[in-house]
Amino acid sequence: MSTVTGFDAVIQYLLTKRPDLTSIDPDLDLVENRILDSLGFVNFLYVLEEQTGEEILMENVTPSDFRTINSIRKRFFHESE
Amino acid sequence: MSTPVLQADAQLQSILDRLVSMSERDHYDPYTMFDWPETLPEDQYWMTPELLSIHGTKVAESFTEEQKWAISKWESVNFYSLNVDGIRELITEIIARIHTKDFALSSEYFHHMIGEENSHMWFFARFCLLYGGKVYPDKGVQLEMKSEGESAHFLVFARLLLFEEVVDFFNKRMGDDDRLHPTIRKINAIHHQDESRHVAFGRQIVSHLHRQLREKLSTEELAELELYLKRYLRKSVDGLVNPAAFKDAGIPNPYQVRNEVLADPAFHELERKMLKRSMSFLVNEGIFTDDVLPRS
Repeated sequence: MSTVTGFDAVIQYLLTKRPDLTSIDPDLDLVENRILDSLGFVNFLYVLEEQTGEEILMENVTPSDFRTINSIRKRFFHESE
Repeated sequence: MSTPVLQADAQLQSILDRLVSMSERDHYDPYTMFDWPETLPEDQYWMTPELLSIHGTKVAESFTEEQKWAISKWESVNFYSLNVDGIRELITEIIARIHTKDFALSSEYFHHMIGEENSHMWFFARFCLLYGGKVYPDKGVQLEMKSEGESAHFLVFARLLLFEEVVDFFNKRMGDDDRLHPTIRKINAIHHQDESRHVAFGRQIVSHLHRQLREKLSTEELAELELYLKRYLRKSVDGLVNPAAFKDAGIPNPYQVRNEVLADPAFHELERKMLKRSMSFLVNEGIFTDDVLPRS
């Protein structure tokens, strides 16, 4: 069981989707690079909810919020880029 | 002039005619046919216990019977909410195709499907709202551009078929389970009755469209379709385990419980049972090369 938590756990989860990568550029387009897609989205959302401790309401988000590591950090971890 | 996607086929036409007759014969008024008691008893199961996501899992060993009853209530609300979401997609996709040149052959039957699915969505949503106070929201997002063309038609009908088959696994068993409240049994039994026709149609159209694609697509392109559908099945199965349902049932650490359930061999055994019929069909039709799904 992983002991990594918070934002690092989110990165770690995304890396499991592309085992050929060892890191993800914060501005890399996650959708274009097939790290995140619609079929994998809900499981990813639950990772985000678990790590932020908050349920994410879909009416409050847009697809662009999930496009890059930086946009995820900014939108869900309330940190600047 | 291009040929329609759904080309004239004597066998398919005969099946469609028969399904239309059966739909007419079994037609009912959903708004008057159910009893809706004000409340349902909370000291019993709302889902067949063996069909709960937690059944037989390690994490369930620490739950009391009362906690399992609560999970069964909220997992049933989640299950019917997934039905509402799936039906919304189904109706939208069928509406987009009805009376187009490509689907002229099946348009008469599409009218029956749309009507029946609208009834299903109404009684599933009513159950959720009446006994759970909400329909769990669809957490999906369309991130990529939607594909078009014949492959897209195939994937739409394959998704709809697989959604219906997974749901029907539960409906058939819960409709027959006399441990469940009569209202719960009835909505499942009625849905099973209608879905058996929709599944019969779905299998015909999916086989038909895939046969046409096999003549046009490369092995690599067909493998991409297979992977997409396997990942769709993974998403559908995982969607049955909703942390919000655990939270509403008063279970601490709902996300951790979800992760443990998804990793538990008992859940994979339930998954194997619920997908057995679909997997046999997909492998026998040559749509899948094996019955192995990707991990969560």
